[in-house]
Amino acid sequence: MAGEDEKDKTRAQAGAEGPRKLDRRDVLKGLSTVPALGLFGYAWEKQRGYQQVKAQAAAAAPVAPAGLQEINVALLGAGAQGQVLTDSMLRIPGLRFRAVCDIWAEYNQRRAVNTMKKFKHEVNGYEDYREMLDKEKELDAVIIATPDFWHAQHTIDCLKAGKHVYCEKEMSNTLDGARRMVAAARETGKLLQIGHQRRSNPRYLHCHNKLLGEAKLLGRIVTVNGQWNRAVTPDLGAPDRYTIPQARLTQYGFKDMHQFRNWRWYKGKGGGPIVDLGSHQIDIYSWFLGANPSHVTASGGLLYYEPKTHEWYDTVMVVYDYDTPLGPAKAYYQTQTTNGSQGYFETFMGDQGTLLISESELNYAGQLYRDPNAPAWDTWIQKGYVSAPKPQETALKENSGAVADVRESVSPDQHTVPVVLRDPYHQPHLQNFFDAVRGKAKLNCPSEIAYETAVAVLKVNEAIDAKSRLSFAPEDFKI
Amino acid sequence: METGRLSPAAMVAITVLRVLVGWHFLYEGIAKLTSPSWSAVGYLKVSRGPFSGFFKYLASHPNLLANADLITMWGLTIVGALLILGLFTRLASLAGIGFVLLFYFANPPFVGYFYSLPSEGSYLIVNKNLVEVAALAVIFLTGSGRFAGLDRILHLLFSRRPRLAGA
Repeated sequence: MAGEDEKDKTRAQAGAEGPRKLDRRDVLKGLSTVPALGLFGYAWEKQRGYQQVKAQAAAAAPVAPAGLQEINVALLGAGAQGQVLTDSMLRIPGLRFRAVCDIWAEYNQRRAVNTMKKFKHEVNGYEDYREMLDKEKELDAVIIATPDFWHAQHTIDCLKAGKHVYCEKEMSNTLDGARRMVAAARETGKLLQIGHQRRSNPRYLHCHNKLLGEAKLLGRIVTVNGQWNRAVTPDLGAPDRYTIPQARLTQYGFKDMHQFRNWRWYKGKGGGPIVDLGSHQIDIYSWFLGANPSHVTASGGLLYYEPKTHEWYDTVMVVYDYDTPLGPAKAYYQTQTTNGSQGYFETFMGDQGTLLISESELNYAGQLYRDPNAPAWDTWIQKGYVSAPKPQETALKENSGAVADVRESVSPDQHTVPVVLRDPYHQPHLQNFFDAVRGKAKLNCPSEIAYETAVAVLKVNEAIDAKSRLSFAPEDFKI
Repeated sequence: METGRLSPAAMVAITVLRVLVGWHFLYEGIAKLTSPSWSAVGYLKVSRGPFSGFFKYLASHPNLLANADLITMWGLTIVGALLILGLFTRLASLAGIGFVLLFYFANPPFVGYFYSLPSEGSYLIVNKNLVEVAALAVIFLTGSGRFAGLDRILHLLFSRRPRLAGA
């Protein structure tokens, strides 16, 4: 080092006399850190290799068992929800994606096509779904995730073209549209599954079939409480370079890019927050109670957002009356879009116990409370239907640091529902649809069931306007 | 050795520092570029401190955000590669300082701020971002690229003025 220092000095002095020529040492020193870039490249390549192995392992499902009939699928509507469904479908074996259709060719369509190409699906992109139906003759099924006001037409045209259809909820923003969808499914004999995906969620199925159906753990359910609280969210935008030309927006029913991106807030496009958020859970109310509602009261309003761009209410509180097979029940539901605390859940309260459940695997994934006076649940714990109760004293110490005498107040025993979904939330419902296409399952949410939910949910919008208690007739739910 | 001039050993140490900081920048950039959906939006949305208004403004304007994302991804990658190579070292260090200061002020660990997002260490005012800024300042001031880096070759090829002794 010291020797080099000396050399450097002499050279520096030499340099002082005038511009010095580049010599071999300069070149070596100049290039001395280049190998670090090579090393980086090598390390990155290795790392990327590991990440790809991991990604492939995560998407391992699509190794189709021998003899599995391949289903040709198209995605109609490649926005946020279309993406969610795609993520699930890419994990389901035996699917062959053929086409993607989205009017936002500049962005959504391109992104979806690229994603599918990464997973080795050679798909064609379309802007017009009719062109897709004309050209893609070999399609077996179409997955529809377009804005609600397009659902009826898209579904009916696809069914009439001989395709099976999985359509996102809400099946339509109007009851007329929903009715025509059911009729088209019946007429064509093709399958129509609506995306109330909790109907295929193993935890909800376990609760419905085993805990409520077989073990009757809650006794008689008298009250229900549920909510979807969502935090304030700014309107969605889009970078200018991806703006859809106005002519195309108009052609597909949007007045501008803002409405295209935020259609849920516009009347005539979406069905309002009770449809966007509440529909999933009110569907569960009817399913678990074994009845459709008889009356509904609702209060809602636009309390917070800018009315010019938010035609729907942002907050609504609803009370349903039910005549269940076991007796009358009341169910409360609220959805608000200005505070996200406590998220979403449904609570079923019976005279013997309580079930608190949500689709989320993180919050309220399934808790049960046994009323102290209810018969013991030991049999069901032994069968693995519910977990053993959480020791109460420990719970107190953990939570508050206080040591309380259990005799002070006997709290209900707390159990958990021992069923966990390790796949994306929509995967089981899509799997159920494709199993049905292969003739190996019955649809968990055929259009008739989704129609009943649509009747119950869309009535809330009427009840808000009417400011009074509205009643349902049993035939309202039939087609 | 003259006062004010660093020993070659010190220059080697600073060059190592430059390569390490460059490596970090390069991988931060490339990791973002290769992630299908990376965006600064989350980081900007939770911004705190005196400049949070600016960062939140960026987060809520899709055009600005898309540009900020692109600039960040490519900026980090390019600055990283330049630092490793010792090419345009002073410009790259300045740009790097700019980037990291932005990151620092988007979520500064000031006294009395409590973040819920876990970080891998404990910080009070000084965090690794700030240390990296200081490291880049050293790299900027010592012209490490002219000691060991492509700048040395460029400098000798293109400098016309006589060099002053000890400069």
